Amino acid sequence: MISNDQFYQTLRLRFGFDSFRPGQLEALTSLASGQNTLAVLPTGAGKTLIYELYGAVTHQLVLVVSPLISLMQDQVISLNVRGEKRAAALTSQMSRSEHQWVVNHLKFYRYLFVSPEMLSQPQVLAAVKAVKPGLLVVDEAHCISTWGPDFRPEYLLLGQIRHQLGDPLTLMTTATATNRVKADIKRKMQLSKAAEIIQPVDRPNIFLDVERFEAADDKDARLVELVSELRTPGVIYFSSKKKANEMAELLNAKTSCRVAAYHADLDAETRFKVQQQFMQDQLDVICATSAFGMGIDKNNIRFVIHYHLPGDLESYWQEIGRAGRDGQQSVAILLYLSGDEQLSQFLSDATVPQDDEISYYFKHQPQENSAEKANLIWFYKQHGYREEQIKLAFTKRREQRALALSQLMTYVRIPTCKRAFIQGYFGQPIASKVSQCCVNDSEGLDLQQLGLLVSTPVSSGTQQADWQTIIAQLFNFS
Amino acid sequence: MVCKRTLMVGEETMDAAELIGYLSPTKPRRLRVIENILIGKRTVSTLYWGMRYHQLAWLGYDKQLTRQTMDGHVERLVHDGLLSVTDTNAVLTKKGAERQQVLRQTRYQPKALPVRLTVDLDTFWQRFLLATQVVSEQSYQTRKYYPLQVAWPVKQMIKKWYQQFYSADLSAEFNAVLTRFLKQLAVREATFFSRLLVGHDRPGETLLQLAQQNGLSSSEAHLMLTDLACQFVHFLRAQSDSSVKALLAGLSRQPISESALNTLNRFQAGQALEEIGHQRRLKVSTVKEHLLEAAIMLPVDQFPYEKLLTPQLQNELSDQFATQNLDDWQFNQLSNTQVAFWQFRLFEILRSKQTDDQQ
Ligand SMILES: [Zn+2]
Repeated sequence: MISNDQFYQTLRLRFGFDSFRPGQLEALTSLASGQNTLAVLPTGAGKTLIYELYGAVTHQLVLVVSPLISLMQDQVISLNVRGEKRAAALTSQMSRSEHQWVVNHLKFYRYLFVSPEMLSQPQVLAAVKAVKPGLLVVDEAHCISTWGPDFRPEYLLLGQIRHQLGDPLTLMTTATATNRVKADIKRKMQLSKAAEIIQPVDRPNIFLDVERFEAADDKDARLVELVSELRTPGVIYFSSKKKANEMAELLNAKTSCRVAAYHADLDAETRFKVQQQFMQDQLDVICATSAFGMGIDKNNIRFVIHYHLPGDLESYWQEIGRAGRDGQQSVAILLYLSGDEQLSQFLSDATVPQDDEISYYFKHQPQENSAEKANLIWFYKQHGYREEQIKLAFTKRREQRALALSQLMTYVRIPTCKRAFIQGYFGQPIASKVSQCCVNDSEGLDLQQLGLLVSTPVSSGTQQADWQTIIAQLFNFS
Repeated sequence: MVCKRTLMVGEETMDAAELIGYLSPTKPRRLRVIENILIGKRTVSTLYWGMRYHQLAWLGYDKQLTRQTMDGHVERLVHDGLLSVTDTNAVLTKKGAERQQVLRQTRYQPKALPVRLTVDLDTFWQRFLLATQVVSEQSYQTRKYYPLQVAWPVKQMIKKWYQQFYSADLSAEFNAVLTRFLKQLAVREATFFSRLLVGHDRPGETLLQLAQQNGLSSSEAHLMLTDLACQFVHFLRAQSDSSVKALLAGLSRQPISESALNTLNRFQAGQALEEIGHQRRLKVSTVKEHLLEAAIMLPVDQFPYEKLLTPQLQNELSDQFATQNLDDWQFNQLSNTQVAFWQFRLFEILRSKQTDDQQ
């Protein structure tokens, strides 16, 4: 068995740290003793370090199942930048030759990132099985439960896939999980005996604010006001790309902040530029959809604003967790316009099929241009589900979505401590009183008191360097 | 799952001002031709009229363009009294012609756009940006940095390229070549180009940011980027070999489709049309279409007109249409002559190129 000394030694050599953050060593020790492990650690606690270190110590392939391509790519780049070249992501965006090259050279890799869809391809599965992964990591494991049967059903097959891989040692990680979600993850992974490593999810340095509006114009005006007053950098989340673009334009025009939109529709070059500008403090505010931030490691984010309602409290907690990783005072603000929940309801209804749709699609094989739902139902049929089972699963799913939304709405409306409500929701003991807690424990949001009021307005725009200066600086001729 | 578009292909970029640029105040133009040119449809009819409209350099420029967007702009221009449309033929009104004149003065006018048809511009741009970043970071001796995310073959190519040129003084060469190139541009364009570049402590600016800084519409900014990239390729081709020029390796392409090129080569080698059709399992009419595509897309001296149109036939046709404007020629005027429609079209192409050359 691997000793703690070995873990410490590698921590020093590879990362230059002398001590672990809470939960990291516990998870490593649990894995070293052969225990499948579910680690619930707050965002920014260094979940990546756990499996990276485990791979470095054991010299075995670490297979990471991850929900988002952008996240996988960011993780591979982070490993590369730290000097680990044996990392790759197998994604649907690869060309056939690139894909084939990675699959044929798996034994040269130490870290392989895949989506569940990619891993369920027989050829990929067989190749991975042949190199005998030493550790299977299910990243963002709450997706198994919260995404449910209406979105990316391959997630539900992960338990089965794990058996096909010969039951490798498994680490499931997430930043947020209620007791129900934890149980659901274990059940779907067929790992009911997995050990749990749980750290408190609370982030005491994030002040929790919710503001309610009756008119859309008021909400927009308040957003402009907040962005003008708040210390940056900050992130604003939207549920639509169009709105993210529009508000980025508005905020650029109406505030002195440098603002850009960031979402999945941007080309690779623009994504890179926006991301790097933000990392290098050349942008103050990002207007993002949830595609942003999963892999961004910026520790001085002062505010996270939600312009639209997130899907559930899990996503909300995950997203506001981007703020204040440096431990400094930060703020999470949810802007709620009466009726916003109807948008969430609509988005949710649109994806979950009704009984009559299920009956129809169960009998009709999907065609090339069939609706998403047709493929979804057919997927379950192909995997041996009966029609009644599917109907039941989706009925439960609808109820679950409705419940998630109503819990979120409770958070919005509750007149008592927001933090206490969240801790109750995640089944964690109420921590000692936080001094700057939430909007209901203070007289509203006081940026001055939080130390989040911008002192000097940020310099407007970048100075216009001429091309001679830019070229000279690029190639170090200045 | 995630839809990624590359910079050069872009999302649909057309705006109403761009559409005005494609139209004429004197001759009605077919809206479907303009649309098909932008989307990149290579039918002989589209290419022929694209040539007549001087629009061939835009072939495939806006592959995402939808009928809905196009119609929306047309409707708007008609509503504003700038355009008049009969069937789907559009002509600028007097007011529209005035607007076109103003736009020619104020809007960015491309200088090297036909270069697009002779190079894989998108791949070149990805290579060039990544190479610039690599060289920039090397000049600061940075070992660990976030590399630009590019297509895998581009990454592989730049790795090999770097191995090949590693020992050369890359930063001096990049500095010199780029300085030479930017010096000959207007200041605004040179600045625009340089701000797009990525390197040490310079994440580069996005096209949207540059559009806002320069007061350009996104359509105009996109055109400026494409044209500046074309100008850069043109510039590099005229330069002696360098590490920068090596980024163009393998990216040249013919302005005609591969299939048409194949047909043309066989014809030049002396094969008859029927023989080509038989060997390539193509209808003879398709073989003829290939030749017409080649004639439209290539300069006059690169196409064997004389092998398809005898001097006698050319004289006959010249006499028949001596007093008529090319765009008014009708095939049915030739009922007395032994000439096929495709030969008539080929003669039109030749005449179009000859008269345009005289301008
Ligand atoms: Zn509170």
